[in-house]
Amino acid sequence: MEKGLKDLKNEYLDIPIPEELDFVVRKAIKENRSLKPKERSSFKKTIIAAASALIIMATVTVGINTSPAFAETLSKVPIVGGIVKVLTFKEYTLNDETFNADIKIPEISGLKDEELQKALNEKYLEENEKLYQQFIHDMEEMKKSGGGHLGVDSGYVIKTDNNRILSVGRYVVNTVASSSTTFKYDTIDKKNEVLITLPSLFKDDSYINIISENIKEQMIKRHKEDENMIYWVSGVEDEDLIELFEKISKDQNFYINNDGKLVICFDKYEVAPGYMGVQEFIIPTEVISNVLVSNEYIK
Amino acid sequence: MHKTCLEDTVAAHIIEFKERYYRLAYSYVKNSEDAMDIVQESIYKAFSSLDSLENPSYIKTWFYRIVVNTSVDILRKRKREILSNETFLSSIDEGEYDSYENFDLKAALDSLPENYRTIIILRYFEDLKLQEIADVLNENVNTVKTRLYAGLKKLRIAMDEKNEEVLI
Repeated sequence: MEKGLKDLKNEYLDIPIPEELDFVVRKAIKENRSLKPKERSSFKKTIIAAASALIIMATVTVGINTSPAFAETLSKVPIVGGIVKVLTFKEYTLNDETFNADIKIPEISGLKDEELQKALNEKYLEENEKLYQQFIHDMEEMKKSGGGHLGVDSGYVIKTDNNRILSVGRYVVNTVASSSTTFKYDTIDKKNEVLITLPSLFKDDSYINIISENIKEQMIKRHKEDENMIYWVSGVEDEDLIELFEKISKDQNFYINNDGKLVICFDKYEVAPGYMGVQEFIIPTEVISNVLVSNEYIK
Repeated sequence: MHKTCLEDTVAAHIIEFKERYYRLAYSYVKNSEDAMDIVQESIYKAFSSLDSLENPSYIKTWFYRIVVNTSVDILRKRKREILSNETFLSSIDEGEYDSYENFDLKAALDSLPENYRTIIILRYFEDLKLQEIADVLNENVNTVKTRLYAGLKKLRIAMDEKNEEVLI
């Protein structure tokens, strides 16, 4: 019987492994790790959902790109046509044993100012292609030097999409041993079809100091309320240990939220330790009202 | 150990040994769809009960335990439907040598109560040590040892009965 069990073991080891196992395992891990229990929705299967999402995306993208008739049909659909929209235009994925890349490229459509639309879309495409090339390059290097874990996950979130404002945030998460996250925002005035930059909102450069002081106050307040919230700011952290936050840059990352408030953003590690993640500060409008060009966008 | 660090270790372990866990799940449910569900659900359970992992060096037995429990749960839910086993039949029928003995043994193994079968699979197919099996099942080593021998004995009896039938 020992021999019989040995034969059975060989059969057992011959149980075929489905190709999608790796994908499903990685996806399940990604969806379930780093969530607080209440954020973790109950267990759900991914295969079906993932597959159908991919199909829809592929259809729309391929449809728009290959068929003028399809594009025309789409523009006749009242919801899509004439409305500024963000679609996933292209997606790169790569799943190797220890190397993962998932890069989603957004594409803005529906802007009448085609120059602006084209410029934005070309920027997105170019940045993401660069990201992908860089990833492939790093992966090859790493493989040569004996392997390791490497991941890049890039995509976008629509922060605000109302009648006036569209704010798209594109993120890149790099994973080597720990992960770093960077965000880049674009905010568009949908009515006048212009890209809104931070300096363009203000009369002069004085906004830099005004906003910076407010953020420092907010950092200290947050720390006082919860001592686990650590910011690299004078009064919380010692300047001998680390370079402290002084002021925002002229073109600091920002977006305008749905309430018309200015939100200043910092990448992971930019003003706080890694566990704090990406940081956002809503600037009260009354603080900046004197230097705002108008209350057109910021209310 | 820091939480994210522990998560990294668990994630890397699951990815590395995913095929083992899949096979173990498959050996319970005998079909890939359910085995896949078990793997996914086990990952979900693992990350939501990371606190129950007392020591990172127990990841292996800890995750085996989750997979075994999830598999058994699913089997219970289905109230042990009779499985047709067609894929399994064709997989053993390699046509080169008589595989009757294997078939009987396989059938006998499948008909063993779960708590005996799990031990035999973990011991002979997954090559776990008795102490590890004890950790997976939360039992002491002596119980595992007793049950392993009892299981083997049951197998032998079941096969002898089969053989007698053939003789008659």
